Amino acid sequence: MSDSIHVFNHNAMATQFQVRIAGEEKTYAAQTAQAAFALADELESRLSRFRANSEISQIAQLLPGDKLRLSEPVFACLRLAQRLEFATRGAFSVTASALRNQPTKPLWALVENEFTLRCDSGRLEFDLGAIGKGFALDRMAEVLREWDCRAFLLVAGGSSILAGDAPTETLGWDCGLGENNSARRHWLANGSLSGSGLAVKGEHIFDPRTGLACSRRHRAWALTTSAAESDALSTACMILDETEILDMLKRNDDWLVFLNEKNEWRHLGQRPVPPLI
Amino acid sequence: MVKESITRRDFIGTTAVAGAGLLLASCSPDAGSKTSATKGGALSKLNIALIGCGAEGQVLLESLLVIEGIHLVAIVDIWDYNRDSNVRRLKAQGVEVKGYENYEDLLAHEKDLQAVIVATPDFWHAPITNACLKAGLHVYCEKMMSNTIEGARSMVQTMRATGKLLQIGHQRRSNPRYVFALNRLVRDAKICGRLTAANAQWNRAVTDDFGWPKKFTISPEKLAQYGYKDMHQFRNWRWFKGLGGGPLSDLGAHQIDIFNWWFGVTPTSVMASGGVDYYKNHEWYDNAMVVYEYPLPTGMARAFYEVLTTTSAGGGYSESFMGDEGTIKMSENPNVTKLYREDRAPAWDDLVAKNYLRASATAAPPSDADKVDVRETAPLLQYDIPVTFNKKIHQPHLENFFNAIRDAKVKLNCPADEAFSSEYVIHKANEAIAARKTIEITAEETKA
Repeated sequence: MSDSIHVFNHNAMATQFQVRIAGEEKTYAAQTAQAAFALADELESRLSRFRANSEISQIAQLLPGDKLRLSEPVFACLRLAQRLEFATRGAFSVTASALRNQPTKPLWALVENEFTLRCDSGRLEFDLGAIGKGFALDRMAEVLREWDCRAFLLVAGGSSILAGDAPTETLGWDCGLGENNSARRHWLANGSLSGSGLAVKGEHIFDPRTGLACSRRHRAWALTTSAAESDALSTACMILDETEILDMLKRNDDWLVFLNEKNEWRHLGQRPVPPLI
Repeated sequence: MVKESITRRDFIGTTAVAGAGLLLASCSPDAGSKTSATKGGALSKLNIALIGCGAEGQVLLESLLVIEGIHLVAIVDIWDYNRDSNVRRLKAQGVEVKGYENYEDLLAHEKDLQAVIVATPDFWHAPITNACLKAGLHVYCEKMMSNTIEGARSMVQTMRATGKLLQIGHQRRSNPRYVFALNRLVRDAKICGRLTAANAQWNRAVTDDFGWPKKFTISPEKLAQYGYKDMHQFRNWRWFKGLGGGPLSDLGAHQIDIFNWWFGVTPTSVMASGGVDYYKNHEWYDNAMVVYEYPLPTGMARAFYEVLTTTSAGGGYSESFMGDEGTIKMSENPNVTKLYREDRAPAWDDLVAKNYLRASATAAPPSDADKVDVRETAPLLQYDIPVTFNKKIHQPHLENFFNAIRDAKVKLNCPADEAFSSEYVIHKANEAIAARKTIEITAEETKA
């Protein structure tokens, strides 16, 4: 690579975020990364269920019939979450753990013209763990582009990455599916890759529709344009069976799913596979 | 049975609610706050503008959007990057506002305002606040009131001369958890016993100076017009003398104000040490350690304050009030709040029963001196404040300001004259660092 790549790290959302910027003067790159990290911190303060004053914590206090006006990013994140819940037939949901604590899934709605969320039933104990980091990467990318840093790679905890333009004279950012310099590597540019599995955090993915542990035992990866989508989709793919995944991908030609079972790699979906390294 | 916590959900539909509700109502940061409702039940509409749309302005903006009866008419910022992006963002949320470059344009064009919120760099607070008060507007101004004592004093004088309200943004003074802890635990229950000391800190990790997107650089002429040497100084004004007051002023102001508020007096002396030891391109101290002496009716109490911008030291910020029977550690983050009981203090069971405190478990009943039961190790009881605060942290303080505009019976929680007393002693801490000596402070000089 001809460009030097500047790497910056920051802890947020209970993991480490990383900004890599190519082809830019170091001080300017550092200031840009700082602005992006500040945004990640701000989003965490709004989206974390562990922050007592976050909007997600405020939502958890709503009673049926109550409404809460949301900030623009929280409204946008929840609107996207609704769309992804529909697209994944409920395999992704911000109320994924609800059935483990409540007899029925809580119901809620976004009131577009009021920018409010309305609680219709149950306790809205949202967990944005499967979309929040990806959403933060999407918003951080907006900051980087605003600062005219277009060749970048953003990393959230190793499970979601979002690539901007490729560094000069490359096909993209060198990305592996797996760990320890995985043999399966692609050049990634202007796209997001997320992985889900049980190897690092153990049994933590539950089917929002049944409350039962996910069926897939091996990792799944999702490649999309938006990091919020890839983040949520990779989790959903741990729950959906292959027939359901194929059916979902028929309606979303921007999405690609990688599965690795018994050391056999397969990809599903119509999005072109990024160049292999 | 121990009540788990007092939340809004609990208020509705449980038998323990009545007592808890009354308890909270009596500690409301804004007694009588709903008396300003119109006949239709809704709060009367107030037209307001936000002057300054930087980081703090945007925090306030988020609260403004959720407060009933507030009509945001305009926003003001000299930087088109801040101004235009916020106008667009608000429009996307269904809030149409006008954007102005400066407060003069705002006052010239908007004739139906009742109040403004000022969140500009500190050195603009006094000129803008004074002009808006004189224009007949009520003002909520972020702390510090001014980068100079004279500027802050002029604001109090203008407030008095115009008869308009001037609330200063020490938002903890309206935080229900702080109000509850002070009124019920410290003053009523005297849970700390005799207060002998206080300790507060706010430490932050090393950060680079703020930059800016190159394409949004402000012209040198405009920067000079508004008092800045260059774009770097504009973006990092907090570090420069003549513009801000450094970390003691930015971060310490909130917490040193709590010393004065909770002790109920101003200190009689301040000694301090600090310096520009780390960031060589800054003018204000990047670290400071301050000791105040507070003459309480029960005896002298000393308060230590530390602000570091060279290490986060684990993060978080808090204020502890320490006495011979207990300590309360407060923070805007409830997870940091802690209560510690000294062995010599009376049991707190009655405070738990009265819902003044929440205990982690039920205390074991007292046993007879000649008998003992043996079973698993009993856990040590942990205590917490049973008030859940389910709003944005600046919201109650803004609500108090708006309610005071609507209803003369509602008093401001941090009027400018009270804030002046706190901020005066913060200026004196910076002076003590520069002078490298203890500075005596009289009660009289802390009054505007």
